[in-house]
Amino acid sequence: MSASRTESRVVFEHVWKKFRYGEVHDRLRDAIPALVRRLAGRTPPDDGLWSGEFWALRDVSFAVAPGEALGIIGPNGAGKSTALKLLTRILRPTRGQCRATGRVGALIEVAAGFHPDLTGRENIFLQGAIMGMPRHETERKFDRIVEFSGIPLFIDTPVKRYSSGMHARLGFAIAAHLDPDVLIVDEVLSVGDASFQQKAFTRVKELVGSGIPVVVVSHQLEAVASLCTHALLLDRGRVRMHGSPQQCITAYLHGMAPPPDAVTGEGAVRIEGLELRGTEEVRSGEVIRAILHCTVRPDGWVEPETIVLRIRSAQTGECVFETSSDRLGSTLPALGAFEIDAELQLNVPAGVYMLESAVWDQQIGRSSFTGPIAYIDVRGGDEFTGPVQMNPRLTLTAREDSATPRMPR
Amino acid sequence: MSVGDANARAVPSKRQGPPYSDGTPLPRDVEPDQVSETRASILGDLSELVRELIAHRELLFQLTRRDMRIRYKQALMGVGWAIIMPLVVILSGWVLRIAFTRLANAPLDSGIMAGIAVKSVGWAFFVGALGFGTASITANLSLVTKVYFPRAVLPLASVATQIADGSIAAVALMAILPFFGVSLSWALLWLIPLTVVLIVLTTAAALLFSCANVFFRDARHLVQLILSFGIFFTPVFFDASAFGGNNTWIVMLNPLAPVLEGLRLAVVAGQDLAVPLVAPDATLIWTPWFLVWSGGASVVLLLLSSVIFHRAEFKFAEYV
Repeated sequence: MSASRTESRVVFEHVWKKFRYGEVHDRLRDAIPALVRRLAGRTPPDDGLWSGEFWALRDVSFAVAPGEALGIIGPNGAGKSTALKLLTRILRPTRGQCRATGRVGALIEVAAGFHPDLTGRENIFLQGAIMGMPRHETERKFDRIVEFSGIPLFIDTPVKRYSSGMHARLGFAIAAHLDPDVLIVDEVLSVGDASFQQKAFTRVKELVGSGIPVVVVSHQLEAVASLCTHALLLDRGRVRMHGSPQQCITAYLHGMAPPPDAVTGEGAVRIEGLELRGTEEVRSGEVIRAILHCTVRPDGWVEPETIVLRIRSAQTGECVFETSSDRLGSTLPALGAFEIDAELQLNVPAGVYMLESAVWDQQIGRSSFTGPIAYIDVRGGDEFTGPVQMNPRLTLTAREDSATPRMPR
Repeated sequence: MSVGDANARAVPSKRQGPPYSDGTPLPRDVEPDQVSETRASILGDLSELVRELIAHRELLFQLTRRDMRIRYKQALMGVGWAIIMPLVVILSGWVLRIAFTRLANAPLDSGIMAGIAVKSVGWAFFVGALGFGTASITANLSLVTKVYFPRAVLPLASVATQIADGSIAAVALMAILPFFGVSLSWALLWLIPLTVVLIVLTTAAALLFSCANVFFRDARHLVQLILSFGIFFTPVFFDASAFGGNNTWIVMLNPLAPVLEGLRLAVVAGQDLAVPLVAPDATLIWTPWFLVWSGGASVVLLLLSSVIFHRAEFKFAEYV
């Protein structure tokens, strides 16, 4: 492997990016004080900020080497879009350095350059040029782009007559044929219908596997989990965690949910503790016991309340199973402390799961109390693979004409 | 990596309130005062701009083609608009001139008419390029905020589109000029430097105003003033020498004036622009210094506006 090959192609070094709240100065009245301050060489008072400014990114550093795929996740306002715009050179950092060497292929806003009055054919050349493809290259790839988009019949129709799906598919088809040195993917994997999405996902996987550095920014945690080798969790401009996708996704989901010790709510029934038995090493298909320690407030009305246990995948945030004290067939005690012992067979694929507890008030139709959370790390089992356990019952019946077994290879 | 470790490092997010108004101290690994904004030299900026433009020449070509195509698609007149615009300028010039010669009881010869026609085509090019160029960045907002490319291609494409239109108009003009008694001469070679200066000056103005328009939306009004009333301060319908004596210099301070006057003298009068021309009443009509001034001013303006544009273009996505 040559030196240039091992060299990181995407680098963020202590990147800071400052924005302003509200309107940027679009009048001389605002511009003049700013100019005076600059001429006077005054430094901003606190935190490197003048009033009305904020840091969208604070000291963010990471590097993506060829063959690596970094997923950037975080809640809204974490700075994901800013990081993306810095990577694609739309914005420049206030401090620090960021660079992506080579041709940056961005699967972001793939149809941004389309002009509605131009035909699909004309727009392919225009969009190709916007993405940095020389004309001979666009000409060479033209047929493949049209085929990938799946709209050869409409290629000479003005784009304004396209459906939104056709529009996005053509845009994605062009971007997907860029042969980039660095790939940056935004939420574009939700383009077109199911079969096109599958095609798009396969193409991105192909590009990820082709040994170029890739950066994925997404709220689709499943996509990050399945595409990325590394992940970066941003929160309000800061790097909260830089590690494996699973770790970051878990931390992200955990950060969104209340912390395990924070139990809140106004319900009559309170869940004081959640105890897991036998969680040292759980394998798919094995059984765990969860014990909920509950108390009932003396002045509460217990009747319409049930206790809910929910299992959520920490990779995707998806709720995979939910059960409640309704299964007990009896109402909860009206006073004092009680325990609920739940046995759960973990017929789930390997991964990290969150066990959430809550009290559901049937009267008001929402949870009246949020209880503690526990984490379960499920390792791969021998029982099954795939998302569901179907408890297969396999039988073998030998027929006479197949009596001679084939030689084992 | 165990799950417990991940838990320990996760911090619950408070998602209300402005980011970091919570008084979180700055990490000490980077000093806030340590501003690493690199101040590039003017030459460095220029060479960077030129390199980027060369790398994106295909985009410039495609954008020009796009602008031309969409102008002529679903349009009644199509390519005719390239001729109609300057034609309207020419006709208004003629109407004005005929009215004034009648008032002054002065003779009106075909040379004056031809002169107005030549200068009007140059003026129409300048006006068209400045108008489209100024709006070019704000009109392509979706591109500017979403995709990276050297933003200068947008005003440059507007200028290039107008060059194409202007060429069509110029060819049409060449076809009718012989009817006004204009004949071929070696002086027509002056068209080459004059066109270059005109394009340089127009490009400089388009770059500067397109950039200003991003930051100050009233730049548009200033441009509107230039487009509407500039013709009264530029010798299009009148000659620069109309004010007598050495007042010609005052008119010629407008860097566009020597170009238009030069076009008229070279095309209509067959005047060699290297030679000064003085009227019998000692009124200065032409001196090569006019062209030197205009050319020099245009080049300086282009360099200046390129540097300003390049330094500002990285803020476009934040300000538009």
